[in-house]
Amino acid sequence: MSGVGLLDVTRVSKSFLIPSVHRATLREHALDLFRPRSVERLKVLDEISFGVRRGETLGIMGRNGSGKSTLLKILSGIYQPDSGSVRVHAHLTAVLELGVGWNPELDAIDNILLIGTVMGRSIADLRRATDDILAFAGLERFARLKLKHYSSGMASRLAYTIAFMAVKEILILDEIFAVGDAGFIGRCETRYRELKAAGHTVVMVSHSPTIIAEFCDRAILIDDGRIAAEGNAATISDRYLSLLTGEPVVRELALAR
Amino acid sequence: MSVSVQRSPVVPALVDRASFDWIGLIWTLIRTDFKTRYHGTFGGFVWALLKPAAMFLVLYAVFSYVFKSEMAYRVNLILGLFLFDCFGEGTKSGLVSLQAKGYLLTKARFPSWIVVATSASNAVITLSVFTLVFLAVLAATGHPPKPVHLLLYFFYVAALLVMVTGISLAGSVLFLRYRDLNQVWEVVVQAGFFLAPIVYPLSVIPHEYQFYLYLWPPTPIVQFTRMVLVEGTVPTLRAHLLLILMVGTTFGVGTAIFRRYAPRAAEYL
Repeated sequence: MSGVGLLDVTRVSKSFLIPSVHRATLREHALDLFRPRSVERLKVLDEISFGVRRGETLGIMGRNGSGKSTLLKILSGIYQPDSGSVRVHAHLTAVLELGVGWNPELDAIDNILLIGTVMGRSIADLRRATDDILAFAGLERFARLKLKHYSSGMASRLAYTIAFMAVKEILILDEIFAVGDAGFIGRCETRYRELKAAGHTVVMVSHSPTIIAEFCDRAILIDDGRIAAEGNAATISDRYLSLLTGEPVVRELALAR
Repeated sequence: MSVSVQRSPVVPALVDRASFDWIGLIWTLIRTDFKTRYHGTFGGFVWALLKPAAMFLVLYAVFSYVFKSEMAYRVNLILGLFLFDCFGEGTKSGLVSLQAKGYLLTKARFPSWIVVATSASNAVITLSVFTLVFLAVLAATGHPPKPVHLLLYFFYVAALLVMVTGISLAGSVLFLRYRDLNQVWEVVVQAGFFLAPIVYPLSVIPHEYQFYLYLWPPTPIVQFTRMVLVEGTVPTLRAHLLLILMVGTTFGVGTAIFRRYAPRAAEYL
């Protein structure tokens, strides 16, 4: 499905070139000038097409290495597709790879300002939201602590919270609810439902059939860079489990995992 | 449903140009860079301002009392040193800027040229403090520059910064593919220090070869600023036009290389 919504992906393909010998410096290029090397083209995404309607939550599932993260990076504009097109008709905020990146030499407040402005929020907005962000992440006591002293969980909580607060229209999430303790996950779920109620559009990647079935309206299953199945989130969750186990899945058992 | 395939990749319109807080992002990048470098302490902030002033006074004292050089040579030398330092530091920071901010580039889409353009901020702060001290010394020694000469000085500094930005734009994307480019550039800058007439006057070079020295970006900047601030003369119109051509070429080539490689920069991080 494409051409119908807020986010249209049309026949997107992406390959990475894998050289037999990796050359990353001028010295290596100069010394190996006459030494032949082969380059293998690894096709990660192959003619992927789908659309996301306003207010919809789309889940993306697939095995490790199936192309999910590359697809999210293309949707987010971080990677360019080799061919095909991605049309985004609204402001998009992404949380990728368990965090949005931070500067370990800066404290939480400066990181909020840095990451928030990169995400397109104004400094005035961010200053107003700083206390809420710290409270949401449960980091009020560590506001002036440099992030290099944070645990990975604390830093990821901060990164997720900034994205949750910065989102304007479309939210892209990689492995939502995989960060933090039960309290933080609970706040994330509440915030997610608020965003849904406010009509925000969400695209999320998860390996959890329970999360996809519970939070998504629709889902796609990617395998070997192609869309293997598309449809109802619960059905796609079952297909994903079948793909992993090679066995058909009984719905109640899948949700109980 | 018919689908039209576009073979040329279309970049998602993720940045709402109308509402994007460009000033906020530029200010935040400069402020956090400064804070990271000086550890966010008051002492660090004061040191950042005192360092160029202290360097100036040390150099001035050494060439006044140890080497007992002439006033004109002394100020020409110090002016050249600081301008070249701005060029060297600015380009070296710019070259590694995309890699240093990779944690932002791989997580969110935003105009990455801003990262490169703001990377020279520390070099600019140093040059700004130096300029204030230098002008104060000129005034104190009875040689205050005329307003028009002062304006020309700022024009030359602006030209220097545009060239630094052009070189940084090209270097920042090429560095991601050639990870020893910074070491090569370090050698070029080191050699270029002696190519520019900083420790020697340009007049020691035979006249027919002087033009080639002017092809090295710091040379015209150092020479022209010396003329307006120290000698009180103004370079010719032809010299200015050649400078503008040089600035335009450096920035144009740098921008073209950046535009060619920047869209896939994140794949090399």
